Amino acid sequence: MAEPKTIIGLETHVQLNTNTKLFCNCPTTGLDKPNTRVCDVCLGFPGTKPRFNRMVLEKAVAVALALNCKFNKLMPWARKSYFYPDMSKNYQITQYDVPLAYNGYLMLDFEGRKKRIRIRRVHIEEDPARIIHVGGSIMKADYVQVDYNRSGIPLIEVVTEPDLSSPAEARAYLNKLISILEHLGVYDAANFVLRSDGNVNVAGTKRAEVKNISGVKTVEKAMAYEVTRHRNLLRRGAALKQETRHYNPKTGLTHSLRVKETEEEYGYIIDPDLSWIKLSNELISRVRKSLPELPDERAKRFIKDYKLNVEQAGTLINDKSLADFFEECLKKHNPLLIAKWIVTELMKSLNYHSISLRESGVTVKGFLELFSLMDDGIITSRMAKELVKDYVDLKKTPKQLVRAKGLKRISRAEDLLSTIKKVIKNNSSAVRDYKSGQGRALHFLIGQVMKETGGQAEPGKVRELIKKSLK
Amino acid sequence: MNAVEFISKARRGEIDLKRFYRQLFSKLHDINDKYECFITICRDEALKQLKNLPRGRLYGLPVSVKDALCTKGIKTTAGSRILGDYTPPFDSTAVARIKAEGGVIIGKTCMDEFGFGGFSTNCAYKVPKNPHDLERSCGGSSGGAGCITSVLDEPHIAIGESTGGSITSPASFCGVCGFTPTYGRVSRYGLIDYANSLDKIGPMAKTVREIALMLKVISGHDLKDQTSRMEKVPDYARTGSVKGLRIGIPREYFKDVPDDISNTVWKAVKELESMGARVKNVSLKTTKYSLPAYYVTAMCEASTNLARLCGMRYSLEAPLKGNFNEYFSKIRSKGFGQEAKRRIILGTYARMSGYRDKYYLQALKVRTLIIRDFKQAFKTCDLLAAPSMPVIAPRFDEIEKLSPLENYLMDILTVAPNLAGIPMLSVPCGKVNGLPVGLHLMADHLEEQKLINAGVAYHG
Repeated sequence: MAEPKTIIGLETHVQLNTNTKLFCNCPTTGLDKPNTRVCDVCLGFPGTKPRFNRMVLEKAVAVALALNCKFNKLMPWARKSYFYPDMSKNYQITQYDVPLAYNGYLMLDFEGRKKRIRIRRVHIEEDPARIIHVGGSIMKADYVQVDYNRSGIPLIEVVTEPDLSSPAEARAYLNKLISILEHLGVYDAANFVLRSDGNVNVAGTKRAEVKNISGVKTVEKAMAYEVTRHRNLLRRGAALKQETRHYNPKTGLTHSLRVKETEEEYGYIIDPDLSWIKLSNELISRVRKSLPELPDERAKRFIKDYKLNVEQAGTLINDKSLADFFEECLKKHNPLLIAKWIVTELMKSLNYHSISLRESGVTVKGFLELFSLMDDGIITSRMAKELVKDYVDLKKTPKQLVRAKGLKRISRAEDLLSTIKKVIKNNSSAVRDYKSGQGRALHFLIGQVMKETGGQAEPGKVRELIKKSLK
Repeated sequence: MNAVEFISKARRGEIDLKRFYRQLFSKLHDINDKYECFITICRDEALKQLKNLPRGRLYGLPVSVKDALCTKGIKTTAGSRILGDYTPPFDSTAVARIKAEGGVIIGKTCMDEFGFGGFSTNCAYKVPKNPHDLERSCGGSSGGAGCITSVLDEPHIAIGESTGGSITSPASFCGVCGFTPTYGRVSRYGLIDYANSLDKIGPMAKTVREIALMLKVISGHDLKDQTSRMEKVPDYARTGSVKGLRIGIPREYFKDVPDDISNTVWKAVKELESMGARVKNVSLKTTKYSLPAYYVTAMCEASTNLARLCGMRYSLEAPLKGNFNEYFSKIRSKGFGQEAKRRIILGTYARMSGYRDKYYLQALKVRTLIIRDFKQAFKTCDLLAAPSMPVIAPRFDEIEKLSPLENYLMDILTVAPNLAGIPMLSVPCGKVNGLPVGLHLMADHLEEQKLINAGVAYHG
């Protein structure tokens, strides 16, 4: 029996990298020491009034343009009321009836197919404070501490239609979204955080909303857990309720926070402290004109200018730092070679460790050492593959590694002949096969020599010498 | 001696301010014992201010401030127990501007909790007594401001605040002048909010000339309040003339007013006419919808404003027990008075999904129609004139018997201009049964000067 269809929609909150907060002049960086980036306004003292940081508007408009949205031109701010310790005013200033933008889409390349993920809306809102659960998780903590450094940091919320049909697709969507944000220069993964609420159900079940999942892979894991849970419930015929859940990254499980009888009640009103945002056509066209090259255009350029294949280009543009890295390397080497080494070898190691390029510490200069080592005949391409892996594992550049391991390429006949003799002696059956015309036996023998020399032998030379020896 | 004369003398060095203030404060304590108009008298802070007083437009002038405006280092309660020991870390913009011009803050005046009331009887601390009859109310919610303005012989200007009539009501009941500026003319930064789209800070004084002086100081754009108006503040001329002014009499504003009050106001209108004003009848047809539109809007906004008061970051606290909901409830049950609780519940209800369209959004639409109505009237009139209040100051025992709805009905004449955000001035225009009656003058947005001209001409 086919598994029931999975339906996922994401609401993603992105912290925008403005210098100051959304409604006050507090800086958005240097947040390490709790409650040091705060003022009367972001602490919500009685009598204080918010004032809109218009830098946020330009960045948000850029995001909406990149997501192909339509715009509203006149927008009030809304107060979303609920009581929670992370809310300095017990209401959040957000956009409700009239969002900044709506009806957009993001093009996803997933498993070789193009898919259009519809964007329902993009709106601006303020981040609440950060809560630290003391003595355990949200379920078990004895008490919480609140750090208002985060209170008032500008967020944009990007809401999809329920167009994602697997946890892996959700992850791919988020990666693409982040790449777009990074290309726009509005989001900075090193300092700012991305959080999503995932709405998920499988055909026949009631929707569950998993709140506040940080990062990208975590979203995939949380969604995967939910899909399994829904399917199991469905199989058992258990009644499913619409509910809000929490994902615990330590256990990989979700827990019910509350069952929803109806939609949540937030008692939205227009925030009367703020004037309405007037979005002019001039501003939109100015932002449109200054939009940088976006991932999809960049992929097209990679294919056209550098003759990369679709998959290579797609992999590179999905991570801005990777695409930048690629283009930086091109100053020294030919694109196809670089692309091949990044997409196959480097990505293999990064994915193995589940880290980003930035986290790996791999630099353009270090990576290019590989090619000069190969060009100079110091290492073989097989050794180079090992070095890429070691570069990521040990955080040492190829040159440092070559020095430390004493690696060098062996290509002189006098250095190779004794090893070749040994291999021929120990593999008499392969030698017989070769002599009877089986070409594969030669590969085997070359492989044995490579193994004996720890990959340092020059394969072409070995081939030549074996052939000569067995004549 | 009025404030204008006092300031010129003080600037010329003809007044020993130190001595003046020592005497003033001993008097203020006696006054407060009798009339209960201050929540806080700030003698030490005032004397400290004297040591380094800017020689500005208000040099040396005693200024009282409604307790809804934040004052740095001076307790600010907004009349509520939940802010019982709250000392703000900053000055409201209006107070900062007063201080910068050499005004001296003498105390924080009594008010209904957060402005919720028309008689200053909903105050957690004191109930100001009407100087004309101690058994009667001063009006509200800026009751303490009206009271001290009436009772103090020394030069002084009070700062009040109006959401739906809270300056006009005490001015009328106490027999003083009260000015409610155009919405946004005075920055609201540091004003503890009642209903942000309606709140307006304004001066109260014995004369309109004094009001004009204060209005100049506190008005003007403020980067800290996005709803403050950008337009330049004129030097309000303090000369009075009504010659050629077209004064409209909205018939709906006289309909349910007792004859003795209505006649007193008509007499004042005739006097304005004899001074050269042209009087004509107008009609404001949306008047009857203004009360529900006002209360829905004000309560919706108020219920969100008060949410932040939960005992977590400042003021009232209790031992931590239970979860945060239980803790917040405990603090709020203890800290809010009955009227505040009523408005939180009503305001929360009117913005819930399912009711939001019917009440909150409907009220916003009605408000737009009311504004349009006034704008239409001001096409043919410079000013509108009406009674300030539909009653004279009621006795406290009468107030006790009023239902909440009867209470709200007292605002019937003031809520529409407050919803429209137009400037208005209440000046004393005679007495009924020995108690003051107010003449209410209203003008189009930013036409404060016209009100001052008429007010000075009529009252001085």
